[in-house]
Amino acid sequence: MPETRRDEQKLWLILFQIKAARARLNFLVLQHWLFATLAIALGATALICLAAELLGPLMFLGSAVIVALFALAALIRIARSDLRSGASMAKAARIADERAGLKGRLTTVLMLADAPKPSVLWPYLVEDTYGLREEYAPARIEPRIVSRAVFGLLAALLLFAAAMPFSAIARGGRRRLPASAMGPPGRVSADIDSLEIRPADPALQPNAEIYADPATLRRLEDKLSAAGNPNRGSGQGLGKLINRAREFADAVQNKLTGRNDVNRPPINLRLTARNQDTTVRDHDRPRRPSSSASGKGGGMAGSLPGSEHASTQGPGSSPGQPPITSLPADQADQLAGNNPAGANPAVSPTPPGRAPNPLVGGGQEAGGGANRGSGSDPEHLFGEASNQPVGSDSFKIAIEAEPSTEASAPGSPGYLPPDVRVPLNQDQYPDEPLARAAVPAGDQLTIKRVFER
Amino acid sequence: MNEAVAANPAETPTISDFARTFRRIQAEIHKVIVGHEQAIEELLSALFAGGHVLIEGVPGTGKTTLVKTLGQALNLSFNRIQFTVDLMPADITGTRVILSGADGRREFTFQPGPVFCHILLGDEINRATPKTQSALLEAMAELQVTVGGTTYPLAPPYFVMATLNPIEMEGTYPLPEAQLDRFLFKVRLGYPGEDELVRIISSATGPDEAGVIPVFAAGEAAARLEGLKRLVREVIVAPPIEQYAARMVRATQPDNSRVLGDMRAPIHVEAVNRYVSFGASPRGALALILGAKVRAMLDGRANISYEDIDRGAPAALEHRIMLNYTAHSDNVDATHIVEQVVKSVRAARA
Repeated sequence: MPETRRDEQKLWLILFQIKAARARLNFLVLQHWLFATLAIALGATALICLAAELLGPLMFLGSAVIVALFALAALIRIARSDLRSGASMAKAARIADERAGLKGRLTTVLMLADAPKPSVLWPYLVEDTYGLREEYAPARIEPRIVSRAVFGLLAALLLFAAAMPFSAIARGGRRRLPASAMGPPGRVSADIDSLEIRPADPALQPNAEIYADPATLRRLEDKLSAAGNPNRGSGQGLGKLINRAREFADAVQNKLTGRNDVNRPPINLRLTARNQDTTVRDHDRPRRPSSSASGKGGGMAGSLPGSEHASTQGPGSSPGQPPITSLPADQADQLAGNNPAGANPAVSPTPPGRAPNPLVGGGQEAGGGANRGSGSDPEHLFGEASNQPVGSDSFKIAIEAEPSTEASAPGSPGYLPPDVRVPLNQDQYPDEPLARAAVPAGDQLTIKRVFER
Repeated sequence: MNEAVAANPAETPTISDFARTFRRIQAEIHKVIVGHEQAIEELLSALFAGGHVLIEGVPGTGKTTLVKTLGQALNLSFNRIQFTVDLMPADITGTRVILSGADGRREFTFQPGPVFCHILLGDEINRATPKTQSALLEAMAELQVTVGGTTYPLAPPYFVMATLNPIEMEGTYPLPEAQLDRFLFKVRLGYPGEDELVRIISSATGPDEAGVIPVFAAGEAAARLEGLKRLVREVIVAPPIEQYAARMVRATQPDNSRVLGDMRAPIHVEAVNRYVSFGASPRGALALILGAKVRAMLDGRANISYEDIDRGAPAALEHRIMLNYTAHSDNVDATHIVEQVVKSVRAARA
C-alpha cells in the first residue's frame, strides 16, 4: 500500500508539473494576445492621427478606413490564432514531450492516469517519468516569461510616441497662429451647380472668398436657406455622398487634431463684381489678357456682363489693326462703377458690416439694361437707360463651362478656364454698343411675358 | 555462466532485462554476420514482437547464415526448408505414415515435418507453388498444423523467416498478398560495403570459426523468450499514438480503393492515389505498434512514441502495399510510397 501511495504521489506531481507548464504556456499566449492587440490598436491610432494631420478630409477618410480595416483583420486573426494556440493539458504534455525529448512519456502518463491499471509497466513509467521531472520543469519547457509580442508593442509605442509630438506641434502651431495671420483671402472655386453648397477645393483655407454672379448667388442663397431645413430631400447622387463623407471626415479630423471650426474665419461669399478688394485679389491671381469668358474662376462669375475685365475698342477699328486689348480689371471695375444704377445690395450676401457693393447687378430697383441682370430673368430684364460711351467696351460673352474642378492636391487652386480672345478677321467688325433706351411701358409687359415662358 | 542464463525464467523480466538480452543476442549474431545492423535489429524486433520476417536479398548476402546464427544464439531448435517447385505441403507440415509397433501391429503415425521447430527458415519461398506456400499460413498465423483432420500445435516460440531472391524471378511464384500480410516485417539485406566485405573475408576464410555463445540456457530459452515477448506486449500505448498508427495505415489506402467504399483516408497522399492499388491491412497497424513497443523497450521506455512508429513504418508497411502498373512503369517502389506517407502523417500531426 505505501508503494501504491508513493506512486500516486509521483503521478500527482507529474500531473501538477504538466499543469504548471500549461499555465505558463497559456500565460504567454495571453500575453501575446494582449501585446499584439495593444500594438495594433496603438499603431492604427498613430497612423490615423498622422493621417489626420497630413491629409485632406477625403484622403484622411480613405486612409483611416483602410488602416481600421487592416487593424480589425489583424485583431481577428490574432485572436483566432491565440485561441488555437491555447494549450490544453494534452497539448501541454505534447509540447513538454517534444521540448524535453521525453518521447511521449508525459502524454502517455496524462492519457492513462485515470485508466484502471493500464499495464504492469505502469509503475515503471510513472517512476521513469518522475525521475525526469527536472527535464520538464515549466521554466525549461517555456523559458520565456514575456511574450515576443512585446517587441511589437514597443514598436507601436515608438510610432505612437513619434506621432503624438508631431500632432502636438501642429496643434500648437495652429493655436499660435492668429486668424489675421492666416494669409490674405485666396481665390477659390465653388461648385454649386450640383446643388451642393461646398467649396470645390477640399483644401479651402480660412478667409477664402467665393465669387459668383448674382443669379448664382441667388441660387446659393436658396441652397443656404434650404440647407438649414432638415426635412429637405437628401439630394442626389455621388456628390451628396461625397459631401457627407467629407463633412464626416472633417469632423473626425477636427476632433483628432483639435481644430476648432468656431474660431476659423468664415468663408466670405462675394459677388463677381469687383469692389475695393479687387486690387488685393489681382495680386493673388494671374492676370488674364482677355475679357471674354471671364469670371469662370469665380464660380459662375463670368456670367455677369461687365463684371470682370473690360476691353477697349475704338469705334473705327478695322481689320488689321492691333488686337483688341482688354482693360485691366481695376479700370474695368472703375468704368462699371461709374454707373450708379447697378447697385443692388439687397441680393448681395455680403457679410454684415460690409459696405453694400454698388456694383452688384440685377437689382430690381436699379438692375436692368444690357449690362445688368443675369441672362433672361424676367425680373431683371429692364433697367434705366444709360449713356454708355461708345467704344468704351466691346461685347462680352459668357462661355458655359465647368467653373471648377476639385483641386488635385490639398491647398492647390481649382481649375480656372482660360480667357480666350480671338482677333477679328477681315470680314468681321467690332460691335458698336447701342446706347440703352428706355423700353416703353406697354412693351415691357409683352417682353416680360415672353421671357416668363 | 552469463547473467541471462542464470536468471530465473519464472521471474517477470524487466525492461532492462529485455534491453540487455536483446543487445546480447545482437552481439552474438554480429560475431558471424558483418554489417546489416538495421536488418538484424528488425529481425530481432519481429522475434520479440511475436511475428515473422520476410527477408529479401540477393544471393550471398548471408540470409541463411543469419538465421542459423540466430538459432544458435537463442539456443532454440532450428529447421531449414529449401523451397522448390516440386515441394509438396506434406513435405513441410509432415504426414501420416504407417509404422510397425513393437507388437508387430501397423498403425498410422504422424511424422512431423520441418515446420515443427522454434525457428524455421524457408529459403527462397517464392520458388514453391502457391499450394505449398500456403501450407505455412496456418503454422505462421495460428501456431498449429492440421494434418489428416488432426491439429498439432507448435511449441512457442515459433519464428518463421522466409527469404526471397529479388533477382531470379524466372519460374517463381510471387507470394499471395494473404501470405505476405502474415509477415510482420520485411527486411532487406543488401550488399555489404567494402570495409564490411574485407571483414567478411577475414572471418570466413580463416581457420577459426566464430563461436556463438547461446544467450539462453538449453531448456530455458523458450520460456525466457516467451517471458520477454509478454513483456513487450505490456508496453503502454497512449491513445493519440494508436490513432497516429491507424492514420498512417489508412493513409496507405488510395482514395479510389474499392475496399474503402465511401470512407476516405483522412490524409491525402498523392503518391498513394497514383501508384497504389491496395494499401496496408489492419495487420500493418499491429505491426507498427508491436515494432514500436520493442523499440521503446530497447530505449528503456515503458511507452511508445511517435518516433518509434515512424522508424518502424518501412519494415512494417512496405510489403503490405500493392503497387499498380503505373508505379512499375514509373519505377516507383513501396519504399518511396511509405516515405511519402510517413512524411504526410507526420506533417499532419505537427
